[in-house]
Amino acid sequence: MHEVVYEVFARKERGEPLKHIGYIDAMDDALARVYAWKTYDEERWFEMCVVPRSCIIPVNRTDGPFAAAAPRKDRL
Amino acid sequence: MSGSTVETAADLPPDARQGLRRLVIALADAKRLMGIRYSDWLLGAPSIETGIAASSMAQDEWGHARLLYAMLKAFDMDPVQVEHERSSDEYCSPDALDRPFEDWAEVVAGCVVIDGAMSACLRSFAGGSYEPARSRVPKMLAEEEFHWDMAAAWYHRLAKASEEARTRLRDATLEMLPSTLAWMAPEDSAANALSDAGLTDGPGAIRSSFEAVVGPVLAELEIDLSTAEARSEGWDESRGRGPGGPDDDAIERARGDRNRMLFVE
Repeated sequence: MHEVVYEVFARKERGEPLKHIGYIDAMDDALARVYAWKTYDEERWFEMCVVPRSCIIPVNRTDGPFAAAAPRKDRL
Repeated sequence: MSGSTVETAADLPPDARQGLRRLVIALADAKRLMGIRYSDWLLGAPSIETGIAASSMAQDEWGHARLLYAMLKAFDMDPVQVEHERSSDEYCSPDALDRPFEDWAEVVAGCVVIDGAMSACLRSFAGGSYEPARSRVPKMLAEEEFHWDMAAAWYHRLAKASEEARTRLRDATLEMLPSTLAWMAPEDSAANALSDAGLTDGPGAIRSSFEAVVGPVLAELEIDLSTAEARSEGWDESRGRGPGGPDDDAIERARGDRNRMLFVE
């Protein structure tokens, strides 16, 4: 069972910035939506989004959870 | 269905009132049993996230059941008695929920077929003329959208997985379908009275609604829902289902027997 990590973002009110509230593991986008909604259901969210961690491109760090998507310096 | 609304069951003719009472109990019992079957998979689901989702879905189902049982007050029935004092042969839940799901393929098939059938009934009920259903059921259906998303996603996953997974999923689906179709869209006098009074659609429209949603998912295993036949041998019109009832363990859990024994009256 191959799963990837999805980062979960949400806001309680329209106009608030989206906040990173956690992550989940899922096999695909459809299950990621369900798992995120059901896992982080302690609030009445106005909006929730999930993003595959691999799609987040770090800007100034080459370590940490998002480093895998960092552009390789030899290709810059 | 009728454009005017019915505010209370007391305004209905006796046959429609009887049909409505059966429908409410059937939906409430289905929710109660579905919640129990989901709860069996809080531990043992394929991943932590899946178990959390199963837990949340169980809570949703029990919440829906509680709301539906409360609607029985309109029939001068005591919801507490209905929830806690009936025997298995009084339950009106779908036959396919009479025993636990044995493996994850059965859970997924049940989520698609049985939960899908329950939602088809609820869509019809919400769109009918009974005001308490028009106001209360849409929120249930909104919560059910996530159940359906999970069901369809897992069905797709297993349908594309190993031959064993496909076989188990197909067998479970075909086992559950006939009795669930009969439960979902009964063709008897109680159901006719409901549709004649505009409280629900007729069985053909409920079935069409079910096929439109569930059909494309089952097609992934070459199951043609349009040709599936309802099985109604031994039909019990008083309950709107086939003979038998849920297993003893499920009934004890549904009624809360073990914990209620601790109550000090």
